[in-house]
Amino acid sequence: MLFFSKWKITFILGAVLLGLFFALPNALSPEMREKMPAPFQRTLNLGLDLQGGAHMLLEVDLSSVLAQALDNEREAIRQEFREADRLRTEFIRVNEEGDAVVGRLRNAEDMPKALELLRKLSVAVDPTSLSTDKTTKVEQEGEKGFKVTITDANIESIQARTIAQSIEVLRKRIDPQGTTEMTLAREGDDRILLQVPGAKNVGEIKDRINKTANLSFHMVRKESGSEAAMRLAAEGKLPPGAIFVLNQDDPGGLILEKRTKITGECLKSSSEGLHPTANYPIVNFSFNITCAKIFGKLTSENLGQRFAVVLDNEIITAPRINGAITGGSGYIEGSFTIESARELSLLLNAGALPAKLIIVEERTVSAELGKDSIDAGKTASIIGLIGVGFFMWLSYGFRFGTVANIALTTNIVLIAGALSLMGATLTLPGIAGIILTIGMAVDANVLIFERIREEAHLGRPPVNAIETGYRRSLAPILDANITTLIAAVTLYFVGSGPVRGFAVTLAIGIVMSVFTAVVVARLITSTWLRRTRPKTLPI
Amino acid sequence: MKDISLVKLMPKEPRVPFINMRVVAAILSVIALIASVFLFTTRGLNYGIDFTGGTVIELDFGQETDLELVRTAVGEMGFDGATFQGITPPLEANKNYEFIRVGIPLQPETEETGGSEAQQIALRTIEAGLTEKVGKFEVYSQDVVGSKVSGELRTKGMLAVGLALLMVLAYIWFRFEWQFGLGAVIALFHDVLLTIGVFSLTQIEFNLSIIAAILTIVGYSLNDTVIVYDRIRENLRKYKTKPLPEVLNLSINDTLSRTILTSLTTLLALVALYILGGAGLRGFSFAMIWGVFVGTYSSIFVASPLLLLLKLKRGVNTGNAEAKA
Repeated sequence: MLFFSKWKITFILGAVLLGLFFALPNALSPEMREKMPAPFQRTLNLGLDLQGGAHMLLEVDLSSVLAQALDNEREAIRQEFREADRLRTEFIRVNEEGDAVVGRLRNAEDMPKALELLRKLSVAVDPTSLSTDKTTKVEQEGEKGFKVTITDANIESIQARTIAQSIEVLRKRIDPQGTTEMTLAREGDDRILLQVPGAKNVGEIKDRINKTANLSFHMVRKESGSEAAMRLAAEGKLPPGAIFVLNQDDPGGLILEKRTKITGECLKSSSEGLHPTANYPIVNFSFNITCAKIFGKLTSENLGQRFAVVLDNEIITAPRINGAITGGSGYIEGSFTIESARELSLLLNAGALPAKLIIVEERTVSAELGKDSIDAGKTASIIGLIGVGFFMWLSYGFRFGTVANIALTTNIVLIAGALSLMGATLTLPGIAGIILTIGMAVDANVLIFERIREEAHLGRPPVNAIETGYRRSLAPILDANITTLIAAVTLYFVGSGPVRGFAVTLAIGIVMSVFTAVVVARLITSTWLRRTRPKTLPI
Repeated sequence: MKDISLVKLMPKEPRVPFINMRVVAAILSVIALIASVFLFTTRGLNYGIDFTGGTVIELDFGQETDLELVRTAVGEMGFDGATFQGITPPLEANKNYEFIRVGIPLQPETEETGGSEAQQIALRTIEAGLTEKVGKFEVYSQDVVGSKVSGELRTKGMLAVGLALLMVLAYIWFRFEWQFGLGAVIALFHDVLLTIGVFSLTQIEFNLSIIAAILTIVGYSLNDTVIVYDRIRENLRKYKTKPLPEVLNLSINDTLSRTILTSLTTLLALVALYILGGAGLRGFSFAMIWGVFVGTYSSIFVASPLLLLLKLKRGVNTGNAEAKA
């Protein structure tokens, strides 16, 4: 156990030095760090609980997206059947469970034709992949009935697309300049994890998450007086194809044409500005070419009538068309302030969210609290380290105490190095893990030293006692540490958030403490033995 | 050069009759366990918002602010069961900070408010109301957890503890005789239950970091137990004719100085963490400090005597251990 070959010594020292180099950048100032070679520039990532910031878990309302998908499917089927001659149906609708489109044909003999059409509508979920998954499943129910369900593969694809799109929109909304180091990632089936470091304006971020920013332009129905409209809407007597929408600022609302071709997708860009004559804040917009043409036609055909600008089911403004707008650009005037105009144009530029987002968890830590935590953690670590170090000297004397303390210091350096190298995130519980490791890391050395003491007491000569001590304590050290490692690994996989940070530092701490006690400390002890050849053991 | 330790903390060969105290220890443990279960079922735990859902905000009004003022203001907004606490962060006492922590219980999540939106609405109401009635403030920290997430965290937490116990049992089973495995796991249950008991007794907030602490206690206590067990196995081979109780006692004594030294260094670090580590880690370090005591106690007084009760057979368990020793 005490003999080390030359290459082994080189390897051990190399590993320790490497750890030291990886840990070093943490102790350097940013300017000095830049002068280091690239692999040695990484530092510990501080978790949001240490640097301050907002952590939010957003749930994507996928049910509405799936309902929309079914609606679209129903429309597609209707259209398909309408275009096919003599294919008449009693009804086509989304069933009560809301998971399928069901329908019934007038004539049973149309069934083969109907099924053929329905199957034609079922296309590959992902045409670019080899998988043969279709978008829908078509079933015949009885003689005249049919049922079309969306396949699981398609649901999954819709979910993935919705979430990817939501993430894209959120990124543009929260970080339009692309300068913040924020994290946006899918989590589980229907959630998005958003982490914004150092966020001062959490309220603003939440406002941007909450708004779907669904923009559309609708023609206002002629009979639409505000009070009459309200009464009609309350009685549920709206004419077909019409919707009632409330005003954003004023009480009341208007009856609008439901169908529209001008939606948020038409927007090429938007910006805040000032009204050319009256000088109050407005939001400028410009449409893409297709929509510009549609809008031009719409406005020229409906001179003198009103159209409404609807954002998230509220009417922002409903101006009268005074002349055809053919250039594809215009402005929205409402009761804007400069800020709200800027906010709206930002939202419009980012596009609409495909589904509503709900904040199911929020944890915000101010930079101040983060700094307080770091300071407290530093003090506690240093005091803990000094206390334990002093204690080791007290228990094992200067010589062996020093060996244990070198091992302990190496351990801390290696933990810092490993965390930096892995790009792991240091959280507040992570700091707790390190401090705990300081206390527990000496355990392996204590085990070894106690064993050496025991063996020396049995009358073995120093070299033999040390040799036997190291050999006999290896099994219990491994057993004891593997069990703690199991607990740490479990915690990592089942735990969440900052607790994971704790599991990581604990696990790394355990591995490093075994390495430093069993390998590094042994190397030091064996070197000392060979140099001095002591007659008695100072332990 | 003479180099002698300043103190020999332990006598070289301690001979404390631990095993003879097993009846007293068993009575003590059983009473403590019953008390823990009783406390847990009658008084319950003071769950943090990780597990109950709800909102906790820490506010910094920039000046010393009357807690009662905040209490009245929030009360007027109609939040029943809200909690209030004045906090001055440690080490910052001279800066005259007044931090106030307001806890709002989980708001009912109706169809209308849509899922966890209710919590965010409550948060907005509180923030607007306090600004108006008490004054401007900076948010020091805020945590908002909806019922869905808190439910998941609860399940995950229990799963983590259960899974860890199972995996650890599997490992001990693999490395030792079954009596050791069972003994170790019973000792772990003992530790976990007593920890839950003490949290029920003190009503210290039980949150995610306490789950982490419990798992670490599991690791630590097992660490201790394994060290003793390892020595028992070794001594069983060494002293083939000694009666089992004597071998157990000898093994506990052999490892006693290590047990005490490691407990002391760990406690040193933990006490530093408890006093200096800030409010966020206080619950965690409290649980760990308790865990170190209980874990050390259980490996001596629970895990080892259990081997007697489980009728450990001699001579069977020499096989694989011989090669490793």
